[in-house]
Amino acid sequence: MSRPAQVPFTRLEEIAGGASVVTDAAEIAAREVCGALPAVIVRPADAAHIAEILRFAAAEQLAVIPTGGCTKLGIGSPPARYDIALDLSRMNRVLAYDPQDLTLGVEPGVRIEDLLRTLAEKKQFLPLAVPFSDRATIGGIVAANSSSPLRHAYGAVRDFCLGMEFVTGEGSQAKSGGRVVKNVTGYDLHKLLIGSLGTLAVITRVNFRTFPIPQAQGTFVASFSSAEAAFDFCRAVSHSVLTPQMVEIANPGTAALIFSGEISARIEPRTWSVVLSAAGQPAVVDRHERELGHLAGAADAEEFFPLSDAEAYSVHAQIREFPKLMMERAAAAAIFRVSAVPGVMAPLLGKLRVLAAQHELDFVSLGLASGIFHVAFLPQTESSEPPQSLSEVIAEVFRTCGQPEMHASSMLEWCPTEIKTSADVVWGPSRPDFELMRRVKHSFDPQNVLAPGRFAGGI
Amino acid sequence: MQPQLIRELEALLGPQAVLSAPEDLMLYEYDGSVELGSPRCIVFPTSARDVAGIVRLANRYETPIVGRGAGTGLSGGAIARNGGIVIAFSRMNRILEIDAANLRAVVQPGVVNLDLSRAVEHLGLYFAPDPSSQKSCTIGGNVSENSGGPHTLAYGVTANHVTGLELVLPGGGIVRIGGKSVETSGYDLRGLLVGSEGTLALVTEITVRLMRKPEAVKTLLAVYDTLDDTTESVVEITVRAITPAACEMLDGFTLRAVEDYVHAGFPKDCAAVLLIEVEGLKEAVEAQAAEITEVCRLHRAREVRAARNDQERNLLWRGRKEAFGAMGRISPMYYVQDGVIPRTRLPETLRRIEEISRKYDLQIGNIFHAGDGNLHPLILFDERDRAQFARVVAAGGEIMRHCVEVGGALTGEHGIGMEKNELMPLIFTPDDIALMERVRAAFNPLGSLNPGKVLPMGKACGEIRVPPMPASTTIPT
Repeated sequence: MSRPAQVPFTRLEEIAGGASVVTDAAEIAAREVCGALPAVIVRPADAAHIAEILRFAAAEQLAVIPTGGCTKLGIGSPPARYDIALDLSRMNRVLAYDPQDLTLGVEPGVRIEDLLRTLAEKKQFLPLAVPFSDRATIGGIVAANSSSPLRHAYGAVRDFCLGMEFVTGEGSQAKSGGRVVKNVTGYDLHKLLIGSLGTLAVITRVNFRTFPIPQAQGTFVASFSSAEAAFDFCRAVSHSVLTPQMVEIANPGTAALIFSGEISARIEPRTWSVVLSAAGQPAVVDRHERELGHLAGAADAEEFFPLSDAEAYSVHAQIREFPKLMMERAAAAAIFRVSAVPGVMAPLLGKLRVLAAQHELDFVSLGLASGIFHVAFLPQTESSEPPQSLSEVIAEVFRTCGQPEMHASSMLEWCPTEIKTSADVVWGPSRPDFELMRRVKHSFDPQNVLAPGRFAGGI
Repeated sequence: MQPQLIRELEALLGPQAVLSAPEDLMLYEYDGSVELGSPRCIVFPTSARDVAGIVRLANRYETPIVGRGAGTGLSGGAIARNGGIVIAFSRMNRILEIDAANLRAVVQPGVVNLDLSRAVEHLGLYFAPDPSSQKSCTIGGNVSENSGGPHTLAYGVTANHVTGLELVLPGGGIVRIGGKSVETSGYDLRGLLVGSEGTLALVTEITVRLMRKPEAVKTLLAVYDTLDDTTESVVEITVRAITPAACEMLDGFTLRAVEDYVHAGFPKDCAAVLLIEVEGLKEAVEAQAAEITEVCRLHRAREVRAARNDQERNLLWRGRKEAFGAMGRISPMYYVQDGVIPRTRLPETLRRIEEISRKYDLQIGNIFHAGDGNLHPLILFDERDRAQFARVVAAGGEIMRHCVEVGGALTGEHGIGMEKNELMPLIFTPDDIALMERVRAAFNPLGSLNPGKVLPMGKACGEIRVPPMPASTTIPT
């Protein structure tokens, strides 16, 4: 919980301008982070403002959390202190877009939806099909390392981000990487900021490589009577010469959330579904349809069918928005992000499903065949308080994923604030590499100005 | 004190694992760059525990430590600049696990890059990063330098293919970061460690992604009468968003040396060639190859031909990958640059390099990864001519400054090392560098690990280092 702080507003007004310092109750409430509210919101116009604000905060021992679209502030452990919300919405310009070079430099407040529209004019895109796409900003997407189903073919932010500019917790303006597509000049400090939840630095510019929008696209659904059959099919796909853009595996509970209309009518409620897309020349898409169908048949698929463009649009949107859908379904959901090699995913999900059943929770999972899943434990009945069983199951999930043969990593991305009694609840038990992360934190933010307590190991 | 250190190292590792005779040290005083530095001794650990023991001993004797793979690096990363102990990983060369089902391999750092691909070839898999030195360079070295190669245009550099590392920290602790899973919660320490040039920790085990071999590969050779037509073709391939797996350029000067050596059928009378490879499903390959051919013809390629079989394809690639070696036929030494530029700036950059070549009266060969704007101008020289060597250094600096001016970078894949660390201020502000120094100190507080690399030492800011005169006439390849 945030302690009541005496924030000297006048200095902030001097730095960012009077109109940029906000204390409106609704605006403050929108920037809640796990139950903590800031005393004030400041809207800097540029990196120089941010540097001054952070130096001021360090001198006054105030804690600062950067915010964008305020869609993922619930991720992470509760901050130990929180005085100033640094709202980056004014920094929403595309600073450099060279479509001929397929490179891009943007400020953190640019909304992904707007950016994708700009890129589409040049028949290009960024492979960031991320949740909360109507409000999410680049800064937030990068800071939360939002997972995208397109990761299967294009990699994650770390794979197509070329460099960043940022302001460290000490108020020092710095950068790493660059604007060119290949670069090993200096340490890749920007990679540390991806997924750092604003605990190391405030991102002020992100450079990306962009990608051409494929000529044609096709989306297909295959359904299977068991998790094993679905994963076997996906393994056959990954060991074939085919090059799908997306391979998402949905458990029976998930199908009800992402399919509607005719598709749900064709899918048996008890089956596992695999949603695949292929892109490129029309001949490439046709071949995927043909051969994915054969592979699905060989894996005893119950159904295999292509989606119409309208159906595909809807299914892609539902897959992209999956964490949001789960939260809408149950306020007291516990949603993990789990990464493991594909070979252990089926047994791991099986164990987690048993855990859910033992604790009388519903279980839904959706993820990439390459091994990054969202799994959610949902109370079977709506109540004002999260059930005790949710806390118990959370500890069990970390224990299960922590078994050496699982090669799995997990974090609790979303859950009710009441349950987050310590950093371990969100990040799992301490690991030897947490000490290295503490040292990294100290290099960027020695006075613990940025989101103290929000990160792994209580960082 | 130092003889005592060697005795203690021998007690720790056995006498066969420690070299300290002057004639042995000489073999480890250079790498693939033009740099030199003599270590006090070389040690050959066989396990992470050995490495941790060496590190603890070195700390007790306040002696620097430098990790070394095959010594093929091109920026002096494996050179004992301040003396001390070189830890050679050549006896940690086992492939520990091939997990084909999950497309992973776990290897020791001394495994040779190509050996891993060969070990998984029968499974239809390979390890994607393919530096030209892949027949000899080690995966540990690739991790240190975040190595690239021709095919990184499509598949990314080493950092995109490493999922886990085991580290020995400069204090002697052993820590694992990441593992087989695609991601690990917390800060992306893998992303920081890969490419940190051995200045943060010693890597003792690496988990890498393996990739499935594509169904079809087509290798095209486009032949040009002018450099401008060649570079304009590359720009248009990029602009049209065609994504070949590799797009390499060799200029006529380089080609003639290569052809005399490799006999790959490169035309010796042209201004330049592009070696372009497309991979994937056969439908995609045919369509892309057709479009690339059209672009090349549009830009007046006098000939565009496809390799007819694997033998022809391998010969073309041998020409590319052994081009540095072929330079030895026409020059006693060369100095290779590694600047990167935005791809649309290729034509003007090649013209600039020609001007610089004339200005300094030096022969510069161009052979590089055109598709991602990663240049490798080779400045030829004779080390006996000291005046010429000074011009070589000045010309190299001017090429790098041009790369920076057009929005590029100092190095695309060879690393900063001890060659370009004093040039870092061309790209980075004192604040940028101060933060990098703090991150280095967070891992390597005493500066004992690979000192004098990556970050400027503050003596000659913004100057390219004038390397010591090479002692022998050996041509590094």
